[in-house]
Amino acid sequence: MNVSVKNYTNRYIIITILVIMAIWALLFYAVLMDEVYDNVDDGLKNQKIEIIREAYANLDILNNTREFGINQYRILPGDAADFTDRNRFTNELIYMPYDEEDEPYRVLRTGFYSKEGDPYLLEIRTSTVEEDDFLINLAISLTILYLVIVLSILVVNHLILTKAWRPFTRTLSNLSNYRFGDMSSFQPVETEIKEFNELNRQISLMIQRNESVFSEQKRFLENASHELQTPLAITINKLDLLLQDDELSEPQLVKIAEAKQSLHRMVSLNKSLLMLSRIDNHQYKEIEEVNFNELTKRLLQEVEDFVNFREIKFNLTEDAVFKTFCNPDLAAILISNLLRNAIKYNTNPGEIGIQVSSNTLEISNPSNSGALNPQYIFERFHKGYQDSQSNGLGLSIVKSIVETYSNLDIIYRFENNFHIFSLVRV
Amino acid sequence: MKILIIEDEVELLHSVQEFLEQESYLIESATHYNAAVEKVLAYQYDCVLLDIMLPGGNGLDILRVLKKEKKDQPVLILSAKDSVEDKVLGLEIGADDYLAKPFHLSELLARIKSIIRRHMHHGDPIISYKDVKLNPDLRQVLVGDKEVTLNRKEYDILYYLILRPNKLMEKTTIAETVWGDNVDQADNLDFIYSQIKNLKRKLKEVNAQVDIQAVYGVGYKLI
Repeated sequence: MNVSVKNYTNRYIIITILVIMAIWALLFYAVLMDEVYDNVDDGLKNQKIEIIREAYANLDILNNTREFGINQYRILPGDAADFTDRNRFTNELIYMPYDEEDEPYRVLRTGFYSKEGDPYLLEIRTSTVEEDDFLINLAISLTILYLVIVLSILVVNHLILTKAWRPFTRTLSNLSNYRFGDMSSFQPVETEIKEFNELNRQISLMIQRNESVFSEQKRFLENASHELQTPLAITINKLDLLLQDDELSEPQLVKIAEAKQSLHRMVSLNKSLLMLSRIDNHQYKEIEEVNFNELTKRLLQEVEDFVNFREIKFNLTEDAVFKTFCNPDLAAILISNLLRNAIKYNTNPGEIGIQVSSNTLEISNPSNSGALNPQYIFERFHKGYQDSQSNGLGLSIVKSIVETYSNLDIIYRFENNFHIFSLVRV
Repeated sequence: MKILIIEDEVELLHSVQEFLEQESYLIESATHYNAAVEKVLAYQYDCVLLDIMLPGGNGLDILRVLKKEKKDQPVLILSAKDSVEDKVLGLEIGADDYLAKPFHLSELLARIKSIIRRHMHHGDPIISYKDVKLNPDLRQVLVGDKEVTLNRKEYDILYYLILRPNKLMEKTTIAETVWGDNVDQADNLDFIYSQIKNLKRKLKEVNAQVDIQAVYGVGYKLI
């Protein structure tokens, strides 16, 4: 479970204070009671001495005080057999008329010898503190103290932590604004708190490292593609020369031509990779309002021959004009990549439906292969079918182009055995 | 006809040179920026093939030098950097055409021929083989003295074939040169066959002495 750092600390503070106060309350109670009994007992002992002295001087009290009177003591004739002059203290409950109930008393029992040497038992009692009342009062006041302390800690914690963590929340919101490839999109937050400064510093460093790895990778891709062009050109041209040799037999020619075709697949893969890195590097800067209706019609004308050959029919429905601002070259690449897939993965004979409305452009084609997984189709080198003609980059290029413009999106769905790609203006 | 190849990749230079020599061009070459500048300023060529990335300088600067010296050389840029900006810039500075590497040698030849033709202010632009005469300026095809009406694709196919009669033209090359980059939309190149079939029929109707021969699986040649 996720808790905020505030609640996290509060939870521990509340528990810790509770434990400390409970222990403290027990010790406090024990010490206090000890002191109370000590005082009461001292008083009783003092009284004992005074009573025994009086008993020596005035023998009457030995016989007159068989019951507790106002002096709260009594003297009983003792038993010589179990005589002891030790002070024995007990707590007893004795009825008190004032309260009309039994109240705690501290009772001192001891033995003494009278002047004549007879053993007597002396009992002195005195009212003492009511432990249960005391305990309840103590608990109530401690609970109130606990609540006051906890509440004030919560309030102070809330105020201080909110203030202290403000740079952190700002850093978080700045991080969510950060776009990969644009280093200036993350703004470090100025703060006096050391830890957050360190956090900002580390985030900036991490972004720098990532960006440099990313741009290195992009440059690597670009350079690798460039460097491949020349050897490819040389190989292809050498094969071209070989094809001019009249002495070669037809099977030999076929093999050379096949080798050349494979090289051309590499060339087109190379071109696609270069194009991807150019799109990602935002090298297609020029932007104008593109009329997708016109563009689609122009591209349809260009592919007419091989589409007719495949016996594929076009159904173009124009409900409105789809216009948006983007790079005209990228727009053409986008639509022709979608058209290419619609031609390639069509049925034979087949059809291509193109529906244009003011905010969507839908290209659909029937298929026998079932739905594609929309999670993977836009990934680089993902191939829906085992297909030697495809380089697995067509839809990634589409995706890259769409991602270049915040006002465009591409959505795939499969309906009634039709693949449908919708270019949507958002 | 004299052609200067400015190219630092020796193997590429050799292939192009060998191919163009087979086509009976006179070839000179330069592999460095300075040597290239010297040659383009000193001599007149029918066509200059110019690589953009050169040791010692940028190929586009050679175009600027030519412009500054007001020297008219037909230039075809060959570049590994297939970027739109380079192409636009090159054509703006004064190049006649732009071909991205890697290219088909027969396409290179077609481009060279069309550049040379455009720079020929006098003389006959007509390309002929046997009884077929093709006028690129008018896009007109005559067999004997009868005109044959061809659609755009049929004309283009015949144009590429007649540039190099008796030589094999691959299907891929024909597709790419006639249909352009969009040809990669097609999943196979069989659609070329229907155009060739029509072209063959039209040539036969006028009893042309030429025919288009298929080399199965590879391409076609004009015989």
